[in-house]
Amino acid sequence: MNYIFEGVIGAFYLLLAKDPETYSAIWTTLRLSTLSITCTLIVGIPLGFLLGHYNFPGKRAVRTLVDTLLALPTVVIGLLVYAFISRRGPLGDLGLLFTIPGVAIGQFILALPIVVSLTASAIEGIDPKIYLTLRTLGASDMQAALSSMWEGRYAVTAAAVTAYSRVISEVGVSMMIGGNIKWHTRTITTAIALETGKGEFSMGIALGIVLLAFALTANTLVSSLRRRA
Amino acid sequence: MKNIFRLENIVHRYSERTVLDISKLEIAEGEVVALVGPNGSGKSTLLRILAFLEKPTEGTVFYNGKLVKEPSFTQRREVTLLLQNSPLLRRTVEENVSYGLKMRKDTHNIKERVKRALEMVGLSPEIFAKRKWFELSGGEAQRVALAARLILRPKVILLDEPTASVDSESARIIKEAVFKARDEWGSTLVIVTHDLPWVYQITEKILSLFKGKLINYVPENVLAGDWKPYNDGLLALRLADGQILIGAGSPQSGSLALLDPKDVIICTEMPEEDSALNSILGTITSMSLISESGQVLVKVNAGGKTISSLVTEKSVKNLHLHPGLKVYLHFKASALKWI
Repeated sequence: MNYIFEGVIGAFYLLLAKDPETYSAIWTTLRLSTLSITCTLIVGIPLGFLLGHYNFPGKRAVRTLVDTLLALPTVVIGLLVYAFISRRGPLGDLGLLFTIPGVAIGQFILALPIVVSLTASAIEGIDPKIYLTLRTLGASDMQAALSSMWEGRYAVTAAAVTAYSRVISEVGVSMMIGGNIKWHTRTITTAIALETGKGEFSMGIALGIVLLAFALTANTLVSSLRRRA
Repeated sequence: MKNIFRLENIVHRYSERTVLDISKLEIAEGEVVALVGPNGSGKSTLLRILAFLEKPTEGTVFYNGKLVKEPSFTQRREVTLLLQNSPLLRRTVEENVSYGLKMRKDTHNIKERVKRALEMVGLSPEIFAKRKWFELSGGEAQRVALAARLILRPKVILLDEPTASVDSESARIIKEAVFKARDEWGSTLVIVTHDLPWVYQITEKILSLFKGKLINYVPENVLAGDWKPYNDGLLALRLADGQILIGAGSPQSGSLALLDPKDVIICTEMPEEDSALNSILGTITSMSLISESGQVLVKVNAGGKTISSLVTEKSVKNLHLHPGLKVYLHFKASALKWI
């Protein structure tokens, strides 16, 4: 049991001493997750709005597909993206394998269904009379659409935070596409996997603490937003 | 007076179900029109068509003399609709009231206009302007929703049961505010309501909708039941206490009988034999004064059915009418209209 206790002590030492390797993984995680979540929100929120607001033939099938993609395993995404961006793949010339943008593509695919599905649910949850009210107050189609989205702002933000939690805690895509390269593509989760394999518990626990702090912050935010939504 | 709306041969369907079938409807500018009828009769659908929120499946709508194929932005913005339990945006009261003006990019002196609109609906701007949507009671929320429409000075205000679920004080203020709008800006009012005493008080133009069709009678007394053939080609409906209602006419199968409250006379004693075939004994359950008109709407329970009668204040005094009193309802068999 001593090694666990020593690991915890060592973890706090690494964090307080600002160990460069530990902080490199944290910094890489933040850069990567910011890039992937930004792209996801830019694409996902409008798609979620369209799916939630409008009725069109095949809507139910699209909804089922999106909901199914929520359960997409990260290793499958890793495999698919790897196949496309590896040297032999159709996008091999872009040189995205083992880069932050490459991993961000995988995380985008992982997070997109979450944002689309939860945004659609948020929009569907808005009282239909609200849209009617906006129209009767003289809003144009675009103004009414934007105002409707603003009405669902808490639930849409909760969708974004949920997707962010998923992105920072995933390991499959980061490992397969990023390659876990030290100082370059090593993230918190891939570093934990590696250090634990090596028996270096201190760094693993230190990064675990940081990840848990992120997750706790995100979930506190989500539950607070859900209460307001 | 020029017509603000003219509807011709309007048919509206949801899937295959016809919910509205109106051959002609004209509403004059500045007029107050009451739209009455039971739930599901098409009142709200008609309001949505008038508000340009829905296009009728068939027929033509003329607004201000012009045929409306696709309502223009200006036309849409001249007409506003207040729903029953109108939802507020998740913003402050001030932002809710100013929303329509901001959408029109008409923000000149906006704070002062919001203040005036709130005062019109009896809400103190100092107390309410900064309140959030969830810090209001149902009545206050409905008044804020009305203020959000009044600030736009619309040509037409459509009201869908505006006072159905608010307290009596809010209801009074809402009623006053819409008439103030009409008096000050000449707004046309189309009001859907079940509040018949109010209807009789505000207008003589009462449109009754029943199963999507405009009928010429106020559907206050709907006498549904198993009408059976009676003597001399008449029809009879047996009430729960054994009394019999008699109607004349030749209704189709499943028809309902309507009885205009104006056609029902109240007597405290059994009337002598005359041409009216119906003398039904019942108990007065409620009485509503229709101020200004000098009339009182008296509701009587007779054999499990509520039948209303419109009587003068003078009759109420002379007959000493009061709730709980047993009275005779006297009306002709031919007063029943079949729909």
